Amino acid sequence: MTETAAAERNIKISSSDNEVFMVPRNVIRLSTTINTLLQDLGLDEDDSTNPEPIPVQNVTAPILKKVIAWCQYHYQDAAPTDDSDNREKRTDDIASWDVEFLKVDQGTLFELILAANYLDIKGLLDVTCKTVANMIKGKSPEEIRRTFNIKNDFTPEEEEQIRKENAWCED
Amino acid sequence: MRNFFTDSNQQYYHERNQYTIEKLPDKVLRDIFQYLSPKQINQVGLVCKKWRVISQNPLLWKFVSFRPNYGGIQVNPQCIDFFIQLIGARFSELRIVELATDLITPNVLYELANKAPKLQYLTLDFSTAMQLHDFTDLQSFPSRLKSLTLCLSENIFLEGFLRKVYTFISSVETLHIIGTYEKVEDEEEEVYETVNVFKLKQFLPNLRVVNLWGVPFITDEHVDAISSNCAHLECLCINYCPKVTGSCLKLVLQRCRKLKTLFLAHTKLDNNVVKMVDWEKTRIEELDIKGTELNSEALISILTRLPHLRWLDASWLENMTDQVLEAWQNSNAMGSLQFLNMDTCDSLNEQALVDMIKRHGHQFHGLCLGGQHKLLEYFWMNMIPQLRNIRVMVMGIAEDCCPKVVAKIHVDQFIDCIAQNCPRLTRLEVRWDDETLRFSDKSSKFIDVLRMKCLMLHSIVLSDGQYYELVRSNFERADRMSVVRTTEMCRTGLLHCSRYFNQLLFN
Repeated sequence: MTETAAAERNIKISSSDNEVFMVPRNVIRLSTTINTLLQDLGLDEDDSTNPEPIPVQNVTAPILKKVIAWCQYHYQDAAPTDDSDNREKRTDDIASWDVEFLKVDQGTLFELILAANYLDIKGLLDVTCKTVANMIKGKSPEEIRRTFNIKNDFTPEEEEQIRKENAWCED
Repeated sequence: MRNFFTDSNQQYYHERNQYTIEKLPDKVLRDIFQYLSPKQINQVGLVCKKWRVISQNPLLWKFVSFRPNYGGIQVNPQCIDFFIQLIGARFSELRIVELATDLITPNVLYELANKAPKLQYLTLDFSTAMQLHDFTDLQSFPSRLKSLTLCLSENIFLEGFLRKVYTFISSVETLHIIGTYEKVEDEEEEVYETVNVFKLKQFLPNLRVVNLWGVPFITDEHVDAISSNCAHLECLCINYCPKVTGSCLKLVLQRCRKLKTLFLAHTKLDNNVVKMVDWEKTRIEELDIKGTELNSEALISILTRLPHLRWLDASWLENMTDQVLEAWQNSNAMGSLQFLNMDTCDSLNEQALVDMIKRHGHQFHGLCLGGQHKLLEYFWMNMIPQLRNIRVMVMGIAEDCCPKVVAKIHVDQFIDCIAQNCPRLTRLEVRWDDETLRFSDKSSKFIDVLRMKCLMLHSIVLSDGQYYELVRSNFERADRMSVVRTTEMCRTGLLHCSRYFNQLLFN
C-alpha cells in the first residue's frame, strides 16, 4: 500500500451516542489513542475503511464533531515539541483560529478538554488548558471560585492552618 | 411548541452544565496549572482542598525562582528551616532553580544536592550580596548540573565558596558569569576580579556555551584561558566586556573548531587584531559586533571571509558604510545570511541597501533597519515585496532621535503592503511616532487586513500614541491580547533567532 493511499483513506469512528463520523486517516493521526489503536489492531495494513466504527466512549457527537474540526484544521501542523523543561510556559501564544474555535461556554470547554485528554490529542489539550489557565491568571482565590463555581470546602481552622503554612513565602 | 423548546433547552443546558471544572481529573488540572507561575500556583492552592493537594505536586514545581528582584518568590527569613524541609517534599522534581544570596547557604545547597536529583540549571545570584555565608561546612553541591549561572557582585570574592564547589561541577555545559556592567557608574572605580576564571575553567571541561556578560575585569587572557580547556565550545558570548580587544580570537578559533556563535557586542575590538584572525577557516554562523568601533577595512576583512554566516548583528556601527556592504556582497559571503540587524548604522545610504535587498531579500527571515532616518516610505514600499520570507522586521525612527524626519509616512498603504507580501511575519516593529505617521479613521480597515493575512503575527511594537491605541484596540477586539505593545515597553530584536537563544537566557 502506498503512502498516499494510506493518507487518503477514511476511518470510521463513533461517538458515545452512536453517531458515526468518517475521518481521513492523516487527520485522526493527531489522536494518539486512535492512532495507536489502528496500528495495534493492524488496521493500517488494509487500505479500505474499517467496517466497524471505532467507538469513542465518553465523547458525545457534538463534542466529537468539534474535535474533528480542530484536527482537520491542524493536521498539517508540525508536531508539538516537548517543552516540559522550559522555564516559563507561555499562554499568550494561542493562534487566532484557536481563539475563535474556543469561544464556547465553560461546559463545552471542559468537555473538549476531557475529549482531548481521552483521545490524547496533545495540541488540543495544550491549547484548551492554556485557555483555562488564562481564565485563572491574575485572579484571587475567591475570584477563581466565582469564575468556576467552586465551593470553598476549607473550615476556618483549616484556613488558619494554611495561612501559617504559607508564611514561608512572602507576597 | 414554544414550551417544548424551552424545556428541552433547559434540560440540555442542565446536562451541559454538569461539566464543571470539578469534573476534570487531577492530571488535567495539573496540565492547566503548569501554565501558572509559582506565585499563582500558591494562589490556586487556596481555592479548595482538591486544588490544594494538586498545587503541591512536585511536578508543578520544576522551575522556581527565589530571586525576588526578578519576580521570584521571596522566602521569609524567619522560615528558612521550613523552606529547607520543603526542598525534599515540594521541590523534589526541580529542574531549574534560581537562588538569591540569602538562600545560598550550606544547608540549602546540601538539601538541593540530595533531595532534588533532577536539578540541572542552577542560578546563584550574588549581585546583592553584602557578605557571604560561611561555607566551611559545605560538603555537598548539586552534581548533575548542565547549566550554572553566577551573578557577581562588585566586591564580594567568590573563591572561598567556589573552592568548595569545583569538584561537583564538571558536568556543566553552559556557564554564565553575569557581571556588574549595568551598575558601573564611575569608570575610575577599582574593578575587583571576584571570580578566578583561570581556576574555574580547569574544572569545566565540557563547556559548550560560555556567556561572560558585562564582566568588567574579563580580558583576552581570561577568554584565552577558557578556550584552552574547552574543545567542545560552540557558543561564546562576551558582550559588554569592555576590556576585550579580540587578541584572543585567533587562538580561540583555532582551538575551538566547533565554535559557531560568537557574540562580541560592545567590546573594544581592535582593527588590526581582528584582521589577523583566520575567519575563512572558522565555522562561524552567528556573529554579534554591535556597538564596536571597528573601521570599514576591518569590517570588510571579517564579513567577506565568513561564508557560513547566517545571523549578524551589525547595529550601531559608525563605519558600516556603503563600501562595506558592497564588498561583502561582491565576496559572495552573503549566501547563507538569514538574519541581519543594521539598526542605527548612520553611514549607510538607501541605494546600497536597495541593491542588497534586491539581491538577497528573498533569503532574509529577519531584517532590522530601524533607527535609519534615510529609509522612508518609498524605500520600504519598494523593498517589502522583496521580503517574502520575512519573519521579523523592524523599521522607522522615533522623532526624538535627532535628525528630524520631515517626510510623512502614509501608514495605511504600508500596512497593506506588509499584509499582502509577508505571510510568515511573526514580529513587526514600526518606530515612527504619531508626528510622522499619517493615519485616519479608515486605518482600521487596513489593520484588519494585516490581522487576517498575517496569522502568525504575535508581536507588533509601535511608538506610543494614537496610532498605537488604534492598532491595539483592533487586535484586542479580535481577542488577540498582548500582541500590540509600545516601543517604551519592548524592543524587537533578532536574538531569539539565534540557535543558542535558549541557552543564553539568564534572567
